Amino acid sequence: MRASTYNRLFIAVIGSAMLAACSSTPTEDDTSATDQQQVEREADTRPVTPAQPTRPDYSHIPLTAEGYHNHPSHYDGTTDSRIVYFAFDRSEVPAAAFDTLRAHANHLKGNSNARVRLEGHTDERGTREYNVALAERRSKAVEQFLRVQGVSASQITTVSYGEEKPKARGSDEMAYAQNRRVELNYTAGRP
Amino acid sequence: MKNLVMTCLLLGCTTLVHANLVIEITQGRDDALPIAVVPFASSGGQPEEDIAAIIAANLHRSGQFRPLPAEDMLSRPSRGADIIWRDFRVMQSEYVVVGRSNRLEDGRYRVEYELHDVARGAQMVAASYTGSASQLRDMAHSISDKVFEQLTGIPGVFGTKILYVTMNERREHPFELQYADADGHRAQTILRSRQPIMSPSWSPDGSQVAYVSFEGDGLPKIYVHNLASSERRVVARESGINGAPAWSPDGTRLALTLSRDGAPEIYTLDLSTGRLVRRTNSRAIDTEPRWLPDGESLVFTSSRGGGPQIYRMDLRDNTVRRLTFEGPYNARPDVTPDGRYLVFVHRRDGRFQIGVQDMRRGTFNVLTASNMDESPSVAPNGTMIIYGTQQGGAGVLEAVSIDGRVRVALPSKEGEVREPAWSPFM
Repeated sequence: MRASTYNRLFIAVIGSAMLAACSSTPTEDDTSATDQQQVEREADTRPVTPAQPTRPDYSHIPLTAEGYHNHPSHYDGTTDSRIVYFAFDRSEVPAAAFDTLRAHANHLKGNSNARVRLEGHTDERGTREYNVALAERRSKAVEQFLRVQGVSASQITTVSYGEEKPKARGSDEMAYAQNRRVELNYTAGRP
Repeated sequence: MKNLVMTCLLLGCTTLVHANLVIEITQGRDDALPIAVVPFASSGGQPEEDIAAIIAANLHRSGQFRPLPAEDMLSRPSRGADIIWRDFRVMQSEYVVVGRSNRLEDGRYRVEYELHDVARGAQMVAASYTGSASQLRDMAHSISDKVFEQLTGIPGVFGTKILYVTMNERREHPFELQYADADGHRAQTILRSRQPIMSPSWSPDGSQVAYVSFEGDGLPKIYVHNLASSERRVVARESGINGAPAWSPDGTRLALTLSRDGAPEIYTLDLSTGRLVRRTNSRAIDTEPRWLPDGESLVFTSSRGGGPQIYRMDLRDNTVRRLTFEGPYNARPDVTPDGRYLVFVHRRDGRFQIGVQDMRRGTFNVLTASNMDESPSVAPNGTMIIYGTQQGGAGVLEAVSIDGRVRVALPSKEGEVREPAWSPFM
């Protein structure tokens, strides 16, 4: 499972790299909407079998505060990635995090003793208790994603910290983007 | 003197003393009353506190008085009979406070003061106190309260306390719940934790506080904490959110937020029976309840109309009506003791500021001018609002008068200070 995920990812990287080469201003939509097509075409012409999975290079996709939550560099498609980021004032799980969350779902389904705690956070804007409520929506969105993948409810707990535990200090958009997140913390059966 | 004994008990329960907050007046009133607080005479030994200086600082900080600097005083009487009225008339002081302390054989102090009207050359009020050295500040605050009330007709809040949360990542326990005198002095730590502490709320008699603590397992729980005994108990530990406790005016119930049934909803909790009653029922966010003085209605934040706005609920029939319509974001309400003014966090052009709405006339004003104001809490006499804001990237406290004319900063020397809660009269 893990090897094939890496293969797919690696191919996808080349695909999006090519795409980036053709497009002067790559945006998130470029990479997500047309990846599939590019991947297949690329696979036909040049099959890739990396001996060692290497960390893909996404440096060609600008890391902006606005697109931070959906930037592929945060999500390696394995359980090694344990933070899901969110857009401002949103609680939808970003598409770039899907593979990573599926990997967590598979781990939880394959290890019935594993327990994960989904910890929701917001940026510092807005009132504190209202932010606790907003952050809970985020942790519940991740919970819902895992449940749809077939994870047992008994393996998941959620907690909302609102703005109380920021990951990044500072009052700029980039710090805010890093703080709008759900962290997956294993309390048992860590992968 | 009951107040002093009570305060003494409170002080006995904790030992850690922290860096005091320092008060700076950032905006005062042009029509502040000129007053002279003459340095008190002392006999039997110099007291540990400068009582007159504390009184002058208190009156100055209210924004409603302009104390004459001690070095500008032409004479320094300590009793009414010794006052040379001309000395104060020439300095345009309209009122004079004089007083003296006497150290008794048992080490306690007897403090006397008099308030005089300079124009009439007559005494308005006089009183005396006896207490220990550690109560000198309480005496100074009590004198300030009496002078303030005598001259403005409004009870003073100098003898009250503020409760607040501090956060300093360099500490082993970054989160602390502290309280201090309303002037920021004599800060005491009530609780230290590695996990967040949130939403402190006073009981109406000032003897207990409720708050949210994530201590231990990292999950939120609501505690009720007795300040004198340091005893505390968990009153809410449901799955999901346990947040935003607010004490009812009669002290028997808490309003709070739980999400155990799905979305965050407002509940009331009977503190003696533990009975929970769910008050809201919407898929939206309902949180941040505060009681109106009648004890039969709440105001709270709800996203039921889209963004957060403030609503009012009648607890007798759980009917709800919307109160705020100004802009897309109004949240975290508090209410003045007379129930007339609603104060809350208002977002305008991406900036979070303190707004006030006159619920009788329906008028709305923004009281502050910074970017990140939050957690407004009204003083028990309804004249001032203390709130959290940011200065140089750190959380600090400020206070503003309900008419926006006076603003006071309370910068902290260490870490972040946030979520102030002004005590009731004690």
